[in-house]
Amino acid sequence: MKTFQNKRGLRKTCILLALLLITSVVMSACWGKDKDAEDTYKEVSGGVAENGDGGTGTSSDETDEKEQKIMGPTLDEIKERGYIIMGLDDTFAPMGFRDKQNNLVGFDVDLAKEVFKRAEIELKLQPIDWSMKETELNTGKIDVIWNGYTITPGRKEQVDFTKPYLTNKQIIVTMAGSGVDKREDLAGKKVAIQSESSAIDAVEAYPDVVKTFDGGKPVLFATNDKALMDLEVGRSDAVVGDEVYVRYYIKQKGKEKYKIAKEDFGDEEYGIGFRKTNGDLLKLIDDVLDKMREDGSYDEIYNKWFSDN
Amino acid sequence: MSYILSILPALTSGLAITFEVFVVTLVFSIPLGLIVAIGRISKINIVSRVVQLYILIMRGTPLLLQLVVVFFGLPYVGIVLERNTSALLTFVLNYAAYFAEIFRGGIESIDIGQYEGAAVLGLSKIRTFRRIILPQVIKRVLPPVGNEVITLVKDTSLVYIIGLGELLRAGEIASNRDASLTPLMVVGVYYLIIIGVFTEVFKRLEKRHSYYQ
Repeated sequence: MKTFQNKRGLRKTCILLALLLITSVVMSACWGKDKDAEDTYKEVSGGVAENGDGGTGTSSDETDEKEQKIMGPTLDEIKERGYIIMGLDDTFAPMGFRDKQNNLVGFDVDLAKEVFKRAEIELKLQPIDWSMKETELNTGKIDVIWNGYTITPGRKEQVDFTKPYLTNKQIIVTMAGSGVDKREDLAGKKVAIQSESSAIDAVEAYPDVVKTFDGGKPVLFATNDKALMDLEVGRSDAVVGDEVYVRYYIKQKGKEKYKIAKEDFGDEEYGIGFRKTNGDLLKLIDDVLDKMREDGSYDEIYNKWFSDN
Repeated sequence: MSYILSILPALTSGLAITFEVFVVTLVFSIPLGLIVAIGRISKINIVSRVVQLYILIMRGTPLLLQLVVVFFGLPYVGIVLERNTSALLTFVLNYAAYFAEIFRGGIESIDIGQYEGAAVLGLSKIRTFRRIILPQVIKRVLPPVGNEVITLVKDTSLVYIIGLGELLRAGEIASNRDASLTPLMVVGVYYLIIIGVFTEVFKRLEKRHSYYQ
């Protein structure tokens, strides 16, 4: 059955190497967008966030390329189709998660249901992997990112945000009795953070503080709850994370076991993300949200989820 | 205990996706793998080369990456697939490559004398393969195929990347919501039971195929 092709070994190796190169180029093209996002991320966090366009350091033709790549329906097409697809991370309590009957619930879910009811568009909820959210949006798989989505300069390059609808803080939580009340108190401590979260940006805005951490940098976990579990078993000394989730978590576990420091790593705002080509849709939603703030229905939903915080 | 019972319905709904991916992948990738294996050992050079390239790409890149490329990358060339379809297509293509190499190993392990004997008896090429070679191949590849099947059960968890809520993700959701590790433990038991069943199935299959020994 075998043919003897060993003499052609060298040629084969060359072909193989070429193939490898081709596949890696193809794949990097597909991943290009995410890498860009990461790069801008780092740039932004290095130079203390704030000014709207943090990461314009990347050349403009790259931005052009990104804009060309956006796919997905327009507002008219969405209306014609009859429904809008909202992407959410169904592991993010209390913003969007599943109850024991497996229904999608949460503050953002309730808010979105009301908003789209008023906008007269049927809402479809699509759970996504959070690390893929911008890709999901800009390939038209979903039409909205709405799930505790922090507005950052890096993300603003890829999506358009509504006006902020909720303020969140990056708080420091330790076990009760740790005596950590200020950022400086974290010196020599193991600090756990969710990877690829805005908490990292927030912490890195204080490079002097990060340097004093045990190991000189935070310990990263896939999710906030894993970071908090690490804190509970004593491998980590502190967690920096989203106030909304951390408070939800410690309420489940018993508030008295934990201590929330007086100082935090700053405020941030949640917005709703749309494709850059969907400006009219964004305006529509912003208007509905404004009305809901005026007539008190926003507060009603807020109080349902955050009343005793 | 009552807590575990309360999370079972949600976990079981995650199990549905896990099973869907598992069953469809097995049903399609094993026959496809056999075809690919035959292509791989084909004496037609170009066929063998193309198949080798396919196997290289499928085995040489992470399955997770392939899922992302099929679901998010293909729309850029005009191919738009549903979430489920993307996952199933990727898994079938990926696993067919692994199965193909297992089958090739099996086919090439059959002694040349078997072909010669069949030729002497005047069997056609196709008949030789179907009646003489393949039954012996099946016997030999059962253990590595069982290995792949077990890996497949656990690999189904990768579909989370395109937003499909399979068993492990259902566990993560419950774990996050209830601030507890218990759901993940329960998920572990689920996997263990499934794989335990398949281990037993393959044990029996191997026994049934152990004639002449």
